[in-house]
Amino acid sequence: MHEYSLAHALLQALTDHLREHPVRGRIRAVHVRKGELLILSEEALAEAWRILAEGTAAAGSELQIERVPVKVRCGSCGYAGPVRYSTDEGWHFAVPVLSCPRCGGRAEVVEGRELAIVGLSVDEDSSEAG
Amino acid sequence: MHDIRVGTEDVFKRQLELAARNYELLQNRKVRAFNVMGAIGSGKTLLILRLAERLKDKGLRVGAIAGDVAGDDDYQRFAAAGLVAANLNTGDDCHLDAHRVGHALEDFPLGEVDVLFIENVGNLVCPADFPLGTEGELVVISVTEGDDMVRKHPKIFAQTDVLAVNKVDLAGFVGVDPMVLVDDYRRLNPHGKVVLTDARSGRGVDELLGALGL
Repeated sequence: MHEYSLAHALLQALTDHLREHPVRGRIRAVHVRKGELLILSEEALAEAWRILAEGTAAAGSELQIERVPVKVRCGSCGYAGPVRYSTDEGWHFAVPVLSCPRCGGRAEVVEGRELAIVGLSVDEDSSEAG
Repeated sequence: MHDIRVGTEDVFKRQLELAARNYELLQNRKVRAFNVMGAIGSGKTLLILRLAERLKDKGLRVGAIAGDVAGDDDYQRFAAAGLVAANLNTGDDCHLDAHRVGHALEDFPLGEVDVLFIENVGNLVCPADFPLGTEGELVVISVTEGDDMVRKHPKIFAQTDVLAVNKVDLAGFVGVDPMVLVDDYRRLNPHGKVVLTDARSGRGVDELLGALGL
């Protein structure tokens, strides 16, 4: 729902990072980890990125989104790991069930809500290479 | 082409930090706060008023923050019922966030309340991504929205541990079986608590108080 504001926040984070860690060459791809619990369209986020990145160091780059599955920790039985998914007909996609898959208790989400840049794919700077 | 590992700050980190700050403030002031989310027109405001009546009977002081895009209708309802109330207009935003609520809490007389309901903007999408720092969350839907409301917005129901299905008195009139909503919710959230309510008559309100741990 908030793809443009979140793409903007990612772009700001990248700009801040590049100020301290400049890269040589052209940024081709920006790799992002996106928690699957976020209500966020990956297509719309990538499109927002293409538009907002124009005129920045990331112009022309593609946002490559890795979906991070939910992981939980159970306060009752100590389980830590992935969850069960509800794939019943009628949901339009597999929905993570946030209860503990082992004992059914209330489980704390430890992964699955993140949104951050984790890497860049950069073309070698041809002017430096020669 | 080569790849570089980068670790930028999570863009939700600040929201989570602000929510944690709100949580700490509310705990320190001994205020039990609840984020009341739900569909537009599902009866969030009247349900809060009914919960407040019961809590007052128990000798507790109740406050409410009315989150809406515009206007002060809900704030007026809370104030007229004698709640310690504040109005929180988002301008155009479709949800409350921890930053906005943090500022509202700065101005709110927290010493005058034991329980605080924060009524979110009517919306079953965005509020799920923006925790406010409350100890509990409630999502309200009503039968008049149809029996597919849970299926259409699975993520907010998977993440919210108390559901009120309101206006059950109207179920027959609109041809909706509330148990369809209940069953969908239970499949998404096996440990969640679901209560059938009719805020107008007060049906289910005591049970809802119990589900919220109040």
